[in-house]
Amino acid sequence: MNTLLSFTPENRPIAIAAAFTLMIILIGTAYTLTTQGTAPMLTPSYLLQQLQIGSFLGLCAAGMMMVILLGHIDLSLPWTLTAAAMMATSVGGPWAIPAGLSVGLIVGLINGFGVSYLRIPSMIFTLGVDSVLRGLMIAHTGGFAPQTEASPLMRYLAADRIMGLPVAVFVWAAVSILITVVLTRTGFGKSIYATGAKESAAYLSGIRTRWVITGAFIASSMCAASAGILLAGYSAKAYQGMGAPFLLPAIAAVVLGGTHILGGRGRYLGTLVGVILIVFLNSVLSIMQMPEAFRQIIYGIVIVGMLLVYGRENKTRL
Amino acid sequence: MPAVTDIVKLQNVSRYFGGITALKDVDFSCRAGSVHGILGENGAGKSTLIKILSGVLPPSEGQVLVDDKPVQYQSPSQAAKDGIVCIFQELSLIPDLSVAENIFIDHPPRRFGLIDASAQRRMAEKVLARIKCEDVDPDARVRDLSLSRRQMVEIAKAISKDLRVLILDEATSALTSKDVETVYGLLEELTANNVASLFISHRMQEVEALCDRLSVFRNGSHIQSFDKGDLTEGEIVRLMIGRDIEAQYPPKPPKAEVHQPALSITDLRWEQSLKGVDLSVGQGEIVGLGGLDGQGQKELLLALFGVLKGVKGEVRLGDMPFIPTSPAACKSAALALVPEDRKTEGLMLSLSIADNLLLPNYKAVSRGALIDTNRAAQEVDAAIAKLQIKTASPDISVETLSGGNQQKVVIAKWLALNPDVILLNDPTRGIDVGTKQEIYSLIRNLASSGKGVLLYSTDYAELIGCCDRVSVMYDGRVVNELSDDQLTEQALVAAALNIQSKGVA
Repeated sequence: MNTLLSFTPENRPIAIAAAFTLMIILIGTAYTLTTQGTAPMLTPSYLLQQLQIGSFLGLCAAGMMMVILLGHIDLSLPWTLTAAAMMATSVGGPWAIPAGLSVGLIVGLINGFGVSYLRIPSMIFTLGVDSVLRGLMIAHTGGFAPQTEASPLMRYLAADRIMGLPVAVFVWAAVSILITVVLTRTGFGKSIYATGAKESAAYLSGIRTRWVITGAFIASSMCAASAGILLAGYSAKAYQGMGAPFLLPAIAAVVLGGTHILGGRGRYLGTLVGVILIVFLNSVLSIMQMPEAFRQIIYGIVIVGMLLVYGRENKTRL
Repeated sequence: MPAVTDIVKLQNVSRYFGGITALKDVDFSCRAGSVHGILGENGAGKSTLIKILSGVLPPSEGQVLVDDKPVQYQSPSQAAKDGIVCIFQELSLIPDLSVAENIFIDHPPRRFGLIDASAQRRMAEKVLARIKCEDVDPDARVRDLSLSRRQMVEIAKAISKDLRVLILDEATSALTSKDVETVYGLLEELTANNVASLFISHRMQEVEALCDRLSVFRNGSHIQSFDKGDLTEGEIVRLMIGRDIEAQYPPKPPKAEVHQPALSITDLRWEQSLKGVDLSVGQGEIVGLGGLDGQGQKELLLALFGVLKGVKGEVRLGDMPFIPTSPAACKSAALALVPEDRKTEGLMLSLSIADNLLLPNYKAVSRGALIDTNRAAQEVDAAIAKLQIKTASPDISVETLSGGNQQKVVIAKWLALNPDVILLNDPTRGIDVGTKQEIYSLIRNLASSGKGVLLYSTDYAELIGCCDRVSVMYDGRVVNELSDDQLTEQALVAAALNIQSKGVA
């Protein structure tokens, strides 16, 4: 079995991403030291706040990784997240969270059915589902920000703290452990890797590849729904477009963490590192008070640039 | 009779693919105004010969002479300029273009530098009329035509050029009998115009009827050329075989009185490929599937493994009726398939040996929902030891293994499930002799332990050496079953060509 530190090709992107994250923190600290003479990035409260923010993206990326491992993609993430948040706040009370999660379950089933049984490319199908969800939510809210509020439990999970640590981080950690166990220690997880590596061979090995694909899409949508429920709890209510800023970073985090975009290869640890990298990159750019235009440009260049570095490494392995 | 002149000549031509010799020191010539048949088993080098003649492949050694001048074609279009045109087995038409566009795809009529569509249509009509295909609309998209019409368009495309040598590679196999007649007529007409035709067909009768000169190839060598009528059918078949058996096979057990059935198939049908297959495999028996390539053997194995949709007929596993709905269902019913292409169907090349071996077996090595890593490791070690897979570690990716060891991984992953019936699709293709022998004795051991084995192989020697019985398929049916003393290469080849074995002996 791979140990955590062995430098196999799978781990190389993870090491590079981790090193790059450290570099970002150092650059940010150097900047604040020269301009303000302090190092706020190294204080525990700052780091905890980053973890709190990172937990929403972390949940989205965890789910996204399951479908990317299959060589598919889930573009319905933004409105799955939003719809789950809106349904949770609409229902309210003790049934708020189950309502939000069942939105995730239903969307996942539909995505999985469309991709595995109807054989529609996931890029198109999930995009269509995203649009349908958006229409449904606009019909539901009349196009305005919903007036309903998050339930107390949602607020507790998203914004409260246990022993000084944000509860949302515990949620993220629990989901992370669950996904790691599923991917490394269950037949379902191994079947995801096999199906992503060569679907025909997995099918001929007696794997029910359609179920595997459907299962992965359900996992993805449930993760997006969880992120939506937490985010609604964090900001006390749901709002239009709350999911939009998560799609590209979620995909980027998975890919920067070394998961092969065509499927079959990748470790969950890499996705975690990818999420942290993106959170710090965003944060350092805002500390530097970079204008929005430059932030977008740097953000894009970093993602493409890092993938170029990985691509080179892959070429030598072929 | 026109004067006998050789249009195309090959001198000492060899062709290698990696370490494999496809053609070996071949001298071959083809006369103007004749129909020249080329005969040989699968893998005898016929396709390579054609590819060299038509400019698809350059020869590794030797010379191609056209009109006694050496030529070096870089592409089929250069060969076409000299009038050498080939109609390939795999259709070369573009489905989304019209018939006329396809016919003139490499030499469209132009006006002011642009394609003259109406002239192209008129010319296409003329060419189609020549092969009695007036019913084909030149504006129809090729996608919408039936397979036999497409094949005729392919022929139209070839004869639209200035022809000197026409090569037909199994070109009649997809045609209706009326079209075949038309093609015969066309060949006669071409012969009268001093065109040389090279005709490759697995249908002996067709070759007999059409060709006036024949060449036999075997193992990449040109064995003999002769005029029609010089040799009998039996002598021709003997020329096609006559090869050394290289591998050693494990001894066959004495024939059991009655085998308990492990797998029986009645009247299995699927689209155009399977036309009512009857077959049975007993427990402890190795049954071979013989015949030429593409007579439905692969489809039969896929149908049994639940891959094909809309299969009709009855399948019984042991005494129980069984409907193969998916590979997963077959796995539960203790049926295993070693597929044709190990690189795309058998293995996930980028995954480790352990992951590949365990894939069908996670249920067995899991405790509850979780995989028991100790049990999984034991299972992997046992499989590697049992099949003597040569590897430094089970965690390295399977693509680093040699072909033979990769095939062992494919077989090993099924053995842990202890299947009752094992289907093998050409398991020793591209594997060295030593590993082949290991696989043969493995198959024999499986049979001895009471399992039923159905083995498809393109290698006749392997079928004879390995199998207790061989069912020969022809055109989607089992046409003959050979066992014991009848199981000879001659009988197999004769049965594969669907000619009566009496005539051969």
